[in-house]
This record gives sequence, structure tokens and C-alpha cells, in this order.
Amino acid sequence: MSALIACGALLQRDVRAVLRSRSQLYSSILFPLILLAILGAGVSEGLDPDPALVRDGDYASFLVPGIIAMAVLFSSTFSSASYYQDRDSGLLRVLFASPHSPRVILMGKGLAGVTIGSLQALAVLAVAAAIPAIDLEWQYGFVPSLLLAVAAVLLLALLLNGFAQVVASRIRTMQGFHLVMNLVLFPLLFFSGAFFPLEDLPTWLKVLATANPLSYAVDLLRTAVYADGSGYFGLPLDVAVLATLAAAAFLWGIGRRPAYQQ
Amino acid sequence: MSTQTAAPPATDLAVQVQGLSFAYAERQALDGLALQVPSGAVFGLLGPNGSGKSTLLSLLAGLQEPSAGDLRVLGQPPSAALRARIGILFQETSLDPLMTPRETLWLHGRLYSLGGHALRDRIDRLLEGVGLSERADSLVSTLSGGMKRRLELARVLLPAPQLILLDEPTTGLDPDAEAALWAHLRQANRDGATIILATNKVHEADEHCNLVAFIHHGRLAAQGAPAELKAALKRDAVWVEWPEFPPARADEIAAWEGVGKLTWAHPTLHATVDAASAFVPRLFQTAGDGIRAVRIRESTLGDAYFDIVGASLSDQEDER
Repeated sequence: MSALIACGALLQRDVRAVLRSRSQLYSSILFPLILLAILGAGVSEGLDPDPALVRDGDYASFLVPGIIAMAVLFSSTFSSASYYQDRDSGLLRVLFASPHSPRVILMGKGLAGVTIGSLQALAVLAVAAAIPAIDLEWQYGFVPSLLLAVAAVLLLALLLNGFAQVVASRIRTMQGFHLVMNLVLFPLLFFSGAFFPLEDLPTWLKVLATANPLSYAVDLLRTAVYADGSGYFGLPLDVAVLATLAAAAFLWGIGRRPAYQQ
Repeated sequence: MSTQTAAPPATDLAVQVQGLSFAYAERQALDGLALQVPSGAVFGLLGPNGSGKSTLLSLLAGLQEPSAGDLRVLGQPPSAALRARIGILFQETSLDPLMTPRETLWLHGRLYSLGGHALRDRIDRLLEGVGLSERADSLVSTLSGGMKRRLELARVLLPAPQLILLDEPTTGLDPDAEAALWAHLRQANRDGATIILATNKVHEADEHCNLVAFIHHGRLAAQGAPAELKAALKRDAVWVEWPEFPPARADEIAAWEGVGKLTWAHPTLHATVDAASAFVPRLFQTAGDGIRAVRIRESTLGDAYFDIVGASLSDQEDER
């Protein structure tokens, strides 16, 4: 019970910090939307997408699941960077000296990252859904499809926050952390199907996409809010792979107290 | 003026340490340390930087595991759960600059499973007690260094700990802020908390501690009340920089009238004497131009440390 109280307090504190940092809050929501506008409304004019893969050739709507995944990715990276701020301010030392194991403290911070990342991504979804030019397909009905999208966002946030915590536990500087996160996650994002249909890729990239955890998150999001079928991998496989990897990554992350903090 | 009280009887021990060792990758921090801290004491760990004081506090709080030895804190082996009864004030400021003092204390209270009206009332009382009521909702980044330290003290006191660990708590504080901090700590001690202070400030240990342990190279060199440790000292302490001092002459100088223990640790000759005004001229007559510098002051625990350990507490000996 006391561990839950501690996690709740850490979550509340981190959420308050994000709300207080307006620039971080607005930019993490606005940037994906700007990208959606530029790619969806601008670049897509020259792409001439295949209507068989992109419904009605509507590339902007096709992009929405990928943009949501990107929003989770950005916010998870930013949330984990708060770990360095807490370390540098000395607060992390105080947290680790509280009557809780490091695992509880890291879980509290991790759940805060998951909550913040998920809310920001869902805010992007809400804004995108409200844009008249965006045509989303809630194929299971609005509420079930929305719940599926929320689940996909939560699982992706767990996966990315866990991974970010693993990276943060080994990298001493925030600059190094961002470098490694970008180096790993951006390529993964680009061949996850976020920006183009996986069906269109050459075989070797399809193999890589199949091994890419983000592909399953994007596919699940696309199934929830865009597609009118079962997606590239299929709903059961998306959920199974994403849930397994999310649980594994999050548990791995909260078990990794940084060597330089001991 | 000394504010210390008599050491409590050692029947009830807050801390028992036996054969405690701990090594970092590159050096041995503690090497078979043994000491006992009675409940209710204000106990000073006096030693230079790197002598193992902070490491000992870290082990007492269960933040690290010893490589060898027995350790009991408040009657139990250190653990995360035991930290509910321990408050720690770290040497460096450990505050989020973008939180307010009230939020800082609230978070800490929740980590200790405090909540509701009781927590809010205690936060209000503590903020008032440390003089931060009017700044309770300002960002920490806008507070002065002394205010931040008082906030950290309030945070330590929030869960009413039975054992308070202080790691050089007054570093960087002006005398007024230091006095204010100790006023609160003395009150906490009167309320029953045992205090363990790691410091290399002689005056701090001398004024506030009723028991002091000299730590050197991770070992206990001596332990006792400040008055006991200083009992062998004469009134004046004389520090002489004399690089070419012939050790063979130590016995001759020690035999001079009014000279107490003489300790030589290159390049310093240290003596406590009844009257420096008589000792120093005679020393110059003996040494000629071999003496580079002389420092005279009233004898302190730092002199007792040098006499017992044969090393100074720091390069910049605390002058106060």
C-alpha cells in the first residue's frame, strides 16, 4: 500500500511539473500535429498514394496512427529526461533514501512517464479527430475503438518508458541519452509503417519491420482508428507482441538502478 | 560557547558497528570500523574529506551494502523499511528547484505514507518553525542558500525520525543560518532523536556533539566526549611549519616546561603548550631559520585529532 502511495505521489509530482512547463507541454502536442499538417496536407500531394493501401488516397488520415506513435515516443523521451534533472538537482538521491526500494521509485517515475506520454498522445488523437479533413474509421464502434487506441498508446508508452529507463541507467549525460534514444528510435519509427504502408516495402525492410516492436504499436493504432480490416499483422498478434514487450521492457527498466547513482 | 549536553548512558544503542568495511573500485573507504552510538546522543564523526564518514552514513541508511562487518541501526540491520525511522540531510542541496517548499514537503510526506489533514498541518507547522511560511508557495529556485537548507531540515524532520544523519550540514551557510539550523536540530534531539553528524568542522563537533569519534582512513582512531578527547591538551595549540625538523630533537622540546604532547607529521610540528608566548620564541632560538610559518590558537578538537591521528583534519584547518 505504501508503495502505491509513493508511486501516486511521484506521478502527481511529475504531472504537475509538466503542466508547469508549458513549453514542453505545448511543443509535445503541437510538433506531431505540425508534422501531420506538413506531411498530410503538403507532401502527400506529390506522393500519389495507392488507394488500395491508403484509403481513398487520403494520406493525412493514414498518418494519424503513426503521428500518435511518434507523440508517445517524444513524450517518453522527454519524461525520461526528467530522470537526469532529478539526478542533477539531488532529488533522486532523496527519493532513493526514502523507505522504498529503488524499484518502487523507478516504477513511480516510470508510471508518471507513461501517464504523461499517453495523455499527450491522446490529446494529439483528439485534435486530429476534430480536424474535418481527417477521416478516421472507428471500425469497432467509437468507444471500443477508442479503448483499443488507449490500450495501444498505454502499451507503447510502457514499452518506450521502460526502454528509456534502461538507456538512462547506463548513459551518464542527458545529451548522450537523447543521442542514443534518437539513434535507436527514429530508424525504428521510420520502418514501423508510421509514414508509409508496410505492404509497399521491399522484402528486406518487411523483415526488419516484422522485428520492429514499434510496427505492432502502429499497426494496432491503425486497426483501432483508421483501418477497416485487421491490420498488417492482425489484432491478436499486435496485442500479444506489444503487451509482452511492454511488460518486459517496463520491468527491465524499473529494475535498472543507474550504476552512477549508487 | 558550548551548547552540548552530557552524553546519555550507553545502555540503549542507536547504532552498533563492528568490523565494518566498504571499498569503492579505487579505494578502501571503511576498514574494520567499530563504534557505538547511544540513543539520544549528538554524535560527531570527525575526520578529513575521504576518511569514510559519508560512506558510513550511507551504510547506516542502507543505501549501500558493506563488504564486511556487522551493522545494527535502531536495533535492526539497515533496510529500506528502516529508513522510515531515519532522516538524512545530504551534504549537497537535494531539492527540485521547480517545486515549492510546500510541494517538496508534501511529496516527502507521501513517500513516508503520511497524508490528509495530519500531513498538511505538520507541513504548516514545520514551515513556520523553519521560518518559511511566507515562502511556502514560492519556487525553491527563488530561495536563498540558508532557506534551502532550512527547507531540507524541515523535510528531514517531517516524518519525526528517531535517527537523524547529517552529512556536513552547514557547509556554505553563514553563521546566522548555521545557528538557526542547529537550534532546530537541538530541539529535535531534545524531542528524542539521535543525531549523527559527519563533519570536518572542529567547532561544530566541539560545540554541538556530546560524543565524538575520530575517523581516519576508514578506521576509528578515538571516541569520547569532546572534553575527554581534549583532556590531554594544553591551553594553546602551536602549528609550526618546519620541513627540516630533526625528529631526534622531539624529546628535547617535549621536555621543555609547559609543553604537552608534541606530534611531528612532515612538514608540521604540532604542540599544545601552556603559553605560546614563551614556547614560540624559544623554538625560534632553537630552529633558527628552519621555521617557515607558525600558527597559534586556543586548543581545539582539531589538535586532539592531530595528536591522536598524526594528521590534520584538512589542508585548510577550520579556524573558527
